[in-house]
Amino acid sequence: MPYSEVFKDHLRNPRNAGELADANALAEETNPVCGDRLRLSLRIRDGRIEAGRFLAYGCPPTLACGSALAEMLEGMTTEDAMKLTRKEIADAIGGLSTRKQHAAALAIETLHAAIINSSQDK
Amino acid sequence: MRKVYLDHSATTPVDPRVVAAMMPYLTDKFGNASSVHSFGQEARAAVDRARRQVATLIGARANEIVFTSGGTEANNLAIRGVCALGESRGGHIVTSAIEHPSVRGAIELLEKTGWEVTRLPVYDDGIVRLQDVRTALRAGTVFISVMMANNEIGTIQPIAEIGTLVSEERDRGRHLWFHTDAVQAAGRLPIDVASLRCDLLSLSAHKLYAPKGAGALYLRRGTRLAPQQVGGHQERERRAGTESVPNIVAFGAAAELARNEMAERNQHTRSLRDQFENRVTASIENSVFNGDRERRLPHLSNISFRSIEGEGLLIHLDMQGVAVSTGSACSSGTLEPSPVIRALGRDEELARGAIRFSFGKDNTAEEIDYVLEVLRRAVESLRKISPLVRETITVG
Repeated sequence: MPYSEVFKDHLRNPRNAGELADANALAEETNPVCGDRLRLSLRIRDGRIEAGRFLAYGCPPTLACGSALAEMLEGMTTEDAMKLTRKEIADAIGGLSTRKQHAAALAIETLHAAIINSSQDK
Repeated sequence: MRKVYLDHSATTPVDPRVVAAMMPYLTDKFGNASSVHSFGQEARAAVDRARRQVATLIGARANEIVFTSGGTEANNLAIRGVCALGESRGGHIVTSAIEHPSVRGAIELLEKTGWEVTRLPVYDDGIVRLQDVRTALRAGTVFISVMMANNEIGTIQPIAEIGTLVSEERDRGRHLWFHTDAVQAAGRLPIDVASLRCDLLSLSAHKLYAPKGAGALYLRRGTRLAPQQVGGHQERERRAGTESVPNIVAFGAAAELARNEMAERNQHTRSLRDQFENRVTASIENSVFNGDRERRLPHLSNISFRSIEGEGLLIHLDMQGVAVSTGSACSSGTLEPSPVIRALGRDEELARGAIRFSFGKDNTAEEIDYVLEVLRRAVESLRKISPLVRETITVG
């Protein structure tokens, strides 16, 4: 399927790209099949994500999912963040074909790993 | 939006002169080349003329040309057709590790039915060594298929040398056939089948500024094969099916233009390509050129950009109207890194980051300026978000 306008916009203008120097939650996950990689750094305070940054390597859907995730996380409670689904990530970039669902799966996996590894008291 | 097409190894735009040549066969001259009446004779004459034009491009006789639907069919007909007859004599094929998927696929199919296959390495320069071909030959070797020039990195293979070796082996009484896929090389390298000493050679029209839908297999006089498509007498019983007269006429016209304009086209694309590569080297760090830079086609450049993945770069360029490809155009959409770049011994990151820029006769220097600007920005933007190049920012 052709990439949507919102998808292309995430590629053209990635939201919250980079890495937080004062992150207290950090994860980098790799898709073992295709080698796509997503790195997420979060600053969590009182159960709320104050800031989130992403870095991504891989096919365009992985880059777009990283950008969409980092954008939607800011201001969200960790509890709500843990409930985010693959579909919500995919919807945020205008949908993903079946073949590219792995990109949203990697985003969720990285998010969970970051929150679970967080040094913030839960 | 501005558009720049740099994917001439995937396909070329149709030359207006080629359109003009084929047009009568899409309108008034619609006859079936097998019909006896005047409409048929007109079509037959056009197909025969095209056959001579295509034969001339490669120094062959007209009756050694079998028209097909394209390069893939020509490759399938060559490999499966000859091996179907040679089967009783052996069962070993020698090929290279960087063949086009249509050659790879046909050989894999034979492998599944019990044929043994040796895939020759290409080292870091992307070139097969004659010595390796010689070493690979064994008593049961029946068929050798090595491409003339690679479709992803453009490296030119030692076809004439392999042809001489095959010819010497044959003089010693060995039954051996040599096929080369010249789909990328035709129109870009002078081809003379007599000096190459190949038995079979594949061509495709749409890489030569003709439409998709026609190809050809050169079949040296006396080389037998089992048709892979039966039920008609066309192409002297070697390929059944009504000839696509307009596409064949277009192929003939394009072959003649390619031959007449080869030097001029090569000089033009080589100059654009070299200019482009020099400026990439100067302005984009961590760019790695893939394949030997001397022994390669003049119109092609394959570059890996460290820390970024090819498809992301392709989409970025496409959003700015620049068309390129990653891996083999036919392989895009699979998750595998390019087997050709892997065969050069490149790591996974470089194999995934490889981009093919293939220039054409109608590209301009001004277009290259635009592409360089877009490319620089795209690489920078993707590296900014790549975890392989970490940068730390502090947020409030």
